Amino acid sequence: MPAWLASGLAYASGLSLTAGGITLLYITTRTFNFAHASMATWGFYVVYTGTVLYGGTPYRWLPLSFLFGALLGVICYLVLNRHLLARKANTITLMMSTLGYDLVLLAFIQMYCDYLTYSLKLFPRRVTMSVYDIELFGTSGASVILPLTAVAVLSLLHLFITRTKFGTAMRATIENSLLAGASGINSDWVYLASWVIGGGMAALGGAFMAMAMTGTPVLGMTTIPFMFAGAILGGLHSLYGGILGGFVVGLAEYAGVYFLAAEVGSWVLGYRMAIPLLIMAVTLMAFPQGLAGAWATMVGRAAGLRKRGVEA
Amino acid sequence: MNGVDKTGSRMQDVWMKNEVVIGLVMVAVLTVIMLTLGLSLVLTILIDAAVFTIVTLSLNLEVGHTGISQFGRVLAVIAGAFVVGAVPGRVLAFLNGLPYGVSYADDAVNYKVVPAISDLLASSLPLSVGFLLFSFLLAAVAGAAVGWLTSRPAIRLKEAYLGISLLAFGDFFMWVGHNWEPLVGGTTAVFVPDPFRVVWGSRFQVVVIVAVIMAFLVYLYLEKLTRSPFGRTLHMVRDCDVAAAVCGKDIVRIRTQSLMIGSALAAVGGALYVIYAGTCTAIGFTRLTWTFWPWAYMMLGGIGSNRGVVLGVLMLTVARTLIITYRSTLFGFLLTWGIDPMWLEYTLMGLVIMLVVLFMPHGLVPAKVESILPAGRVRKAAQEQGFGATVG
Repeated sequence: MPAWLASGLAYASGLSLTAGGITLLYITTRTFNFAHASMATWGFYVVYTGTVLYGGTPYRWLPLSFLFGALLGVICYLVLNRHLLARKANTITLMMSTLGYDLVLLAFIQMYCDYLTYSLKLFPRRVTMSVYDIELFGTSGASVILPLTAVAVLSLLHLFITRTKFGTAMRATIENSLLAGASGINSDWVYLASWVIGGGMAALGGAFMAMAMTGTPVLGMTTIPFMFAGAILGGLHSLYGGILGGFVVGLAEYAGVYFLAAEVGSWVLGYRMAIPLLIMAVTLMAFPQGLAGAWATMVGRAAGLRKRGVEA
Repeated sequence: MNGVDKTGSRMQDVWMKNEVVIGLVMVAVLTVIMLTLGLSLVLTILIDAAVFTIVTLSLNLEVGHTGISQFGRVLAVIAGAFVVGAVPGRVLAFLNGLPYGVSYADDAVNYKVVPAISDLLASSLPLSVGFLLFSFLLAAVAGAAVGWLTSRPAIRLKEAYLGISLLAFGDFFMWVGHNWEPLVGGTTAVFVPDPFRVVWGSRFQVVVIVAVIMAFLVYLYLEKLTRSPFGRTLHMVRDCDVAAAVCGKDIVRIRTQSLMIGSALAAVGGALYVIYAGTCTAIGFTRLTWTFWPWAYMMLGGIGSNRGVVLGVLMLTVARTLIITYRSTLFGFLLTWGIDPMWLEYTLMGLVIMLVVLFMPHGLVPAKVESILPAGRVRKAAQEQGFGATVG
């Protein structure tokens, strides 16, 4: 496997998890979660701390990373989001509240890095996680294990929301929270569950991305535009759209930079973030509702045509 | 209600108003700081507050008065800062036979050219004033251009989509400045010619006075603008754009105008900042400092309230400066674990946003709800309809 594809796959898997988490939180709670940035960074630091202090492969620590992200999500819901949803706050207020939470989390990340540097004599501000990676099938472990883990997590999520009773309740709340409430579904638990899953996916995604890029305290802060780009490309209406959007954006960045650098010269490396943004801009210009919106329109039109055909 | 002495109640109203109380407290705090910690700290607070007042007021015009989800404030600030970092110095270098092309931004050349230009400016007051005005004009034009560009997606996209797009493009412009060396030196800072060298002995004081006056002028202008018929049109578009369209208002044009004015003002703020700092470093224009902090200031002050914004900026600037000043004495215990108390600044800003959102959604000085008709006519109409007891 070429090097760009190996790291691109690891990065894209991480981005698809984070974009999926953003989409899930948006469709359940109408919240654009800025705190995804620092939740992702915390996910990376959980894996880093575990690997450096207790050894072993980074992959052992992924479950713990998920749990920590879920905890951060639960805190965000109980402290902020719950009260704002009860008050029917508008989208911008919901978004700003998570920004405040993100800044606090970022401060704690920085303090934690200071602590690691001072007390344990580590270098947590510039981490290359790939040195702890293992080799698998003649390529880096990250490029095999991470996409597989992402697929496994997303399959579990799919089974959860389609096959379990609680998942059905969740979908009902997403579709129509008023009717769902009337039929006895407690939306409070649904929102809490989506923060658990969304926060966990953010942390996992951050840990994944750190396997492909340099891990820094601002890892999430620098990549959050791409997480949003992935979610927007997916259309923000469908969870699967968000997951796919994140993957496409992530892989396109690595592939685009690799081929452009070979064609034009290595100076394009500095402008790599233009690629996901360009994808997002073009998508939004063509389909202001994202790809899922375009898909829904297309399906709607097709259905309309069929209906008219039947009538004729 | 009818029996109350009118002038008396009005006087009471003035003293009960949040903005008056907070304003007096801020003046008292600044006086105490001046007496205990010295004048220079107060001047530092004032210049920071002045720059951010301009930027936050411009944000408030777009968010609070027009209802555009502007999460890319840094974009316009960058436009002003980069243009002033790149263009006026080059113009003077060209006129005086100094290197002005690509090499102007090269760090090996720049550190010789800019001091030469600054010396030239120091020799003549009219030239310095002209340079300053030219810089601000250039920044305003660049900002308005960026505002026009951002208005293109602003017409099509809904709130969250627009916010994210603007945020992403703000980041992109920062990286362009960071990577493209001929613009403002790329990874190395480019120096900005100093038009205040004319008053070398009291440069800092003069810069502060100019900045405060500019912030005050921007405040007056926006206060007048938002109370004018144009301002009421903005509020109409904000509150219900469909109703505004029904009334024959061109929504696209109004949003574009608001974005262009707001971005031009923010660009002037960015220009003021780089001229004061004397350098322009691309990587310093992060969305944290120039988008999120103005948002925090605005939310604390009260979205849609110009006075509130000014007070919010002043309060948080004082709080941040005090944290930085007292970080080793008050928060020195953190150093036993090696933790730099500097990060408390982030915690403060985050907590302010969270607390405001939870407990004070309308900010310190809530924006007034204005009726379209004068209050007297509303009351009269209500009485005619028999609602007299419930209204007013």
